[in-house]
Amino acid sequence: MMTVDVAPVVETGRPGMSRAARERLSGWALSAPTLLVLLAFFILPIYFVVRFSLGIDRFARTEAAAELTGELGSFSLDLWRTFLGYGVDLEILGSATIGLPMWLVGVLFVALVLGAVLGGRLQRHGGLVSVVCFSLLLAPFFTIPWGNTLVRVAELSSEGDFVRLFFKSVTMATTSSVFAVLIAFPIAYFLAYGVKKSKYTWLLIVIAPFLTSYLLRIFAWKIILGDQGVINSALFQTGIRDPDNALSFLIYSQFTVILVLLYAWVPFIVLPIFIALEHIDRRLLEASTDLGASRLHGLRKITLPLAAPGIVAAFLFVFIPSIGEYITPSLVGGTGGYMFGQAIAQQFVGGTLNWQTGSVLSVFLLAVVLFLTFSTSRFLRQGGGATA
Amino acid sequence: MSDVLLSRRGRRGLAVFFGAFLVFLYAPTVVLIAFSFNSSSVAALPFEGLTTRWYEAAWQNVEIRNALVATIQVGLGVALLATAISVAVSYALARRRFPGRSLVSALVLVPLVVPTVVLGVSLLVLFRPDQPPIFFLAVPLSLWAVLIGHIVIALPFCVLILMPRIASIDRRLEEAAEDLGASWMLTFRRIVLPLITPALISALLVAFVVSVDEVVIASFLVGEQVTLPVYLYSSLRFAERTMIMVPVATVMITASFVLVIAAELIRRVGDRRVGL
Repeated sequence: MMTVDVAPVVETGRPGMSRAARERLSGWALSAPTLLVLLAFFILPIYFVVRFSLGIDRFARTEAAAELTGELGSFSLDLWRTFLGYGVDLEILGSATIGLPMWLVGVLFVALVLGAVLGGRLQRHGGLVSVVCFSLLLAPFFTIPWGNTLVRVAELSSEGDFVRLFFKSVTMATTSSVFAVLIAFPIAYFLAYGVKKSKYTWLLIVIAPFLTSYLLRIFAWKIILGDQGVINSALFQTGIRDPDNALSFLIYSQFTVILVLLYAWVPFIVLPIFIALEHIDRRLLEASTDLGASRLHGLRKITLPLAAPGIVAAFLFVFIPSIGEYITPSLVGGTGGYMFGQAIAQQFVGGTLNWQTGSVLSVFLLAVVLFLTFSTSRFLRQGGGATA
Repeated sequence: MSDVLLSRRGRRGLAVFFGAFLVFLYAPTVVLIAFSFNSSSVAALPFEGLTTRWYEAAWQNVEIRNALVATIQVGLGVALLATAISVAVSYALARRRFPGRSLVSALVLVPLVVPTVVLGVSLLVLFRPDQPPIFFLAVPLSLWAVLIGHIVIALPFCVLILMPRIASIDRRLEEAAEDLGASWMLTFRRIVLPLITPALISALLVAFVVSVDEVVIASFLVGEQVTLPVYLYSSLRFAERTMIMVPVATVMITASFVLVIAAELIRRVGDRRVGL
């Protein structure tokens, strides 16, 4: 940096104060309004939610009312114990079942995430470690959302209702993220390498729907997929199906939620993948072709490894917000597509009304999301820097 | 050159896939627009003829009009307030060294990843009308509460737009002004502000759009008067209200397309002006 230091010559601002001190002060002063807003309306509310989850505060005003809602009256870890105390069953290939305590699942999860993120830094086989950890993370949570006929590699379930619901939400989020990446990659590849004229205009055309109202896009899907919707009424009109026998899995099912989440996020994640592809030095690929490698070989050995950070960022951009989804499952999910985020809302404004339980679920979801964000921030920053 | 990356057959295959993808991407919007002019009273095939009666019905609906006004009021408030405080913090983050700087920059971005349902319920806890935990922060559940929630989620977007732009200004311009005796305020007004005007407009637009589209936090915090997304959200449960919402949705989608493209164009002008 070329900065000419002339501070001692020209005295601006208050005398008797060093330049560094002035800079510090004005840095704090300029950040103060934002910090106050975040402190009062972001940190403080979450602090109170944590208090609720520990039984310190409660929704009910009187003892009698608390008895009715089943809320605790003083500090206790009981709610957390109940929530996390259930065992977890890991079912592999639909047959062998292993019982695991919840804490072990947590430890495994953290270890695998860290392995996937930090594996790349190992001197030898770093990429392999990352890929193995990442696949082990995905395995129990990936499913093909077409009925329940397909055998999954592995499946997690639990006696605890909320824990099971959480696993289900993660499964739905994983599935839609994987499909979103599978669709976005060829699109980004085509835009980066196949389009010759005005590729940025095409990119904007792809991204534009992401920037329009999310709610309205769900609304449109409801009209398309409903029992009386566009697809079904077209099937009735053409006589392929009779009106009493609509394709009912199209709406109010896990399939719908996964489809709509996927639809919502694909345009957005084309961007980080596109940028990662654009940054690849094409001479590498030319060199590999000159040396006799096939295009497929080049894709596998050069393009994919170099684009990997962008692809991981793309996956996380869908996955992280999808775990806590609320609006999509409540509009198109029905009972089949019910998700964890809805359970939280249910505890606060729905029929159940137990703010303490709802707070436990909120803090848990928040912890998972924040852990994922901070442990993968390297990828997110890369992808996010690309999009900003 | 491009043959190292893509064979002719591969390119053609990808082009077909891309075309199909665009259809998938825009089909919902097209469906909404088409049905908003369909005279049938259910959103189903076949088309029964052109009409504008759904637009008239929506326009004459007082609840929708009030919700629209409320949404725009909240959106304007969010745009102005969120942009104002983000200009300050973005300037501090881009130009000032102070202890806690990295903490501030992390904290400002965190609302981006916090699930909106968690943010909604936590503000509901803070604003609970019967026994608020802190009395002087007890904003009644109303459009004011929605405004506050939306400022929190719009902040990171504004900072992400403004901070890189401020950082990209040639520092020597400000130093020259200060060396010539200009006060900090004068330097900011005459040098920084003109250079970031496009980014500022783009931040205002994005904050407005974020607020106008937001439904989860709003649905927890609204009082008597709802915002348009909340009204739409609650209407979706009633089949008989569907058709009247279709034109509203069409207009909103079109409007946000226009705003977004405007924001993008303005940002590009800004890039050129700073010389990127």
